[in-house]
Amino acid sequence: MSELEKPLRAELTVEYPFTRTTGKVIGAFMTGLREKRLFGIKRSDGSVLVPPLEYDPVSSEPLTEMVEVSQSGVVETWTWIDPPRPQSPWDDPHALALIRLDGTDTSMLHAVLVGSRSEMRTGMRVTAQWKEERVGHIADLEGFIQETEEVHS
Amino acid sequence: MSAELTAVLGVGQTKYSSTRGDVSIAGLCREAAYRALEDACLDWKEIDAVVIGKAPDFFEGVMMPELYLAEALGAVGKPILRVHTAGSVGGSTALVAASLIQSRVHEKVLTIGFEKQSESNATWALSMPQPFSVSINAGAGGYFSPIMRQYMSRSGAPELIGCMVAFKDRQHALKNPYAHLHQNDLTFEEVVDSPMLWNPIRYSETCPSSDGACAMVLGNEASGDRAENPVAWVHGTAMRSESNNFPGRDEVNPLASRQCAADVFKQAGITNPLKEIDAVEIYVPFSWYEPMWLESLGFAELDHGWRMVEDGTTSLSGGELPVNCSGGVLSSNPIGASGMIRFAEAALQVRGMAGDHQVDGAKKSFGHAYGGGAQYFAMWIVGAEKP
Repeated sequence: MSELEKPLRAELTVEYPFTRTTGKVIGAFMTGLREKRLFGIKRSDGSVLVPPLEYDPVSSEPLTEMVEVSQSGVVETWTWIDPPRPQSPWDDPHALALIRLDGTDTSMLHAVLVGSRSEMRTGMRVTAQWKEERVGHIADLEGFIQETEEVHS
Repeated sequence: MSAELTAVLGVGQTKYSSTRGDVSIAGLCREAAYRALEDACLDWKEIDAVVIGKAPDFFEGVMMPELYLAEALGAVGKPILRVHTAGSVGGSTALVAASLIQSRVHEKVLTIGFEKQSESNATWALSMPQPFSVSINAGAGGYFSPIMRQYMSRSGAPELIGCMVAFKDRQHALKNPYAHLHQNDLTFEEVVDSPMLWNPIRYSETCPSSDGACAMVLGNEASGDRAENPVAWVHGTAMRSESNNFPGRDEVNPLASRQCAADVFKQAGITNPLKEIDAVEIYVPFSWYEPMWLESLGFAELDHGWRMVEDGTTSLSGGELPVNCSGGVLSSNPIGASGMIRFAEAALQVRGMAGDHQVDGAKKSFGHAYGGGAQYFAMWIVGAEKP
């Protein structure tokens, strides 16, 4: 096929700034991250959702009772990422895990930052590691690290 | 087997404003949905399905927002459907919801339209650059203005008819607590003196950019009979589409608009719309579309729609056919909700629940929405009595 016969193709990059209004519940969670604090929300049966939801996932009732939760918890399931893709926020090999924080009833997806796959196991205890500079974003939480005996006791 | 009779059991609206910075999209939709349920005296559990509509996702930058709204709209464990037909979406969303009742698939359906225009810039979203074409960044006003000039030339309408529509709708809006624009001190002269944006459209002849949501609860005949508040019965529903560019297209009076109107009036058994309809809510984002649609829909003779503006026929203050008593799109424009507001306001009129902008004794009303380059049309007729 000659150049003239080829259908034309062109790049199209769409780029535009949006604003996102978080509302009170998600807003409180984000503000907490900036202050190195983790917040969940309590349902009418006492169970706690982290990250919080604005409306009950079963009854659809509005949820309003924010509660501060533990920064430590248990790895429920995980996978090992090696090497991370270029777009990944983490440069080094790491685990992506579902982590259930102590006293909460849902798990959240985040990284577990350990040196090698052999250090990972389901049921291991981990604790939050924060960035020095925080802006109110989920990435303020750098990831989770293995809980040391000192923290555990 | 004939279609199940369908009733509007409840209506809920948010106060339309330029920025609802206090709520997320979910919170905004929840507010309207909750009010519609309250009006219908129903609980979330009694709703069978949710039908949601909004304009392009680019308007907020949340892709497929319906997927995260299930909890907020009480749709957990139920079907939730998204409708999109550009600016007419609020109307077509209500009609899709109605069809679920008419077909006896469901008994009670919650339907909602929303837009949070403060989260982006709709003009940009409508004018995305495309490869191999020059963007003229006309925006909706630039697109429609030459068509309005064609109408003026065809009909011989005086230059200030558009200003009269805009002033009338802003006066109507003062009677509607949910309207975005409440311009108490606005004078006709100020409308005329406002900056010319796209001749013949002045700034004051354009719609605002609004955040807001509008919801309705629709039900079958049995739920309409049981309802505690007055209901509006659906007498006719129609949708039509056409391409925005084909040989012989009449941009001023699109074929799809005429066919859609003919269909909906036929269903409702209406032969003289001007005499038989008591209140009208038509989609008028730019002032001149009021006379243009009045003609296309059959409320006015061709080339005579502007006379109904000039002689006050379309005014709530004693006019024979009050148009956009709510203040219309010219006074509130959360785009994805704007069509549903027209349909909901038509229902409020025949329920006798339109408050200060009520047309006395309204028995039959007409709700209308259009979208794209005047390509997509949705219409319904509702009545105080069963069809």
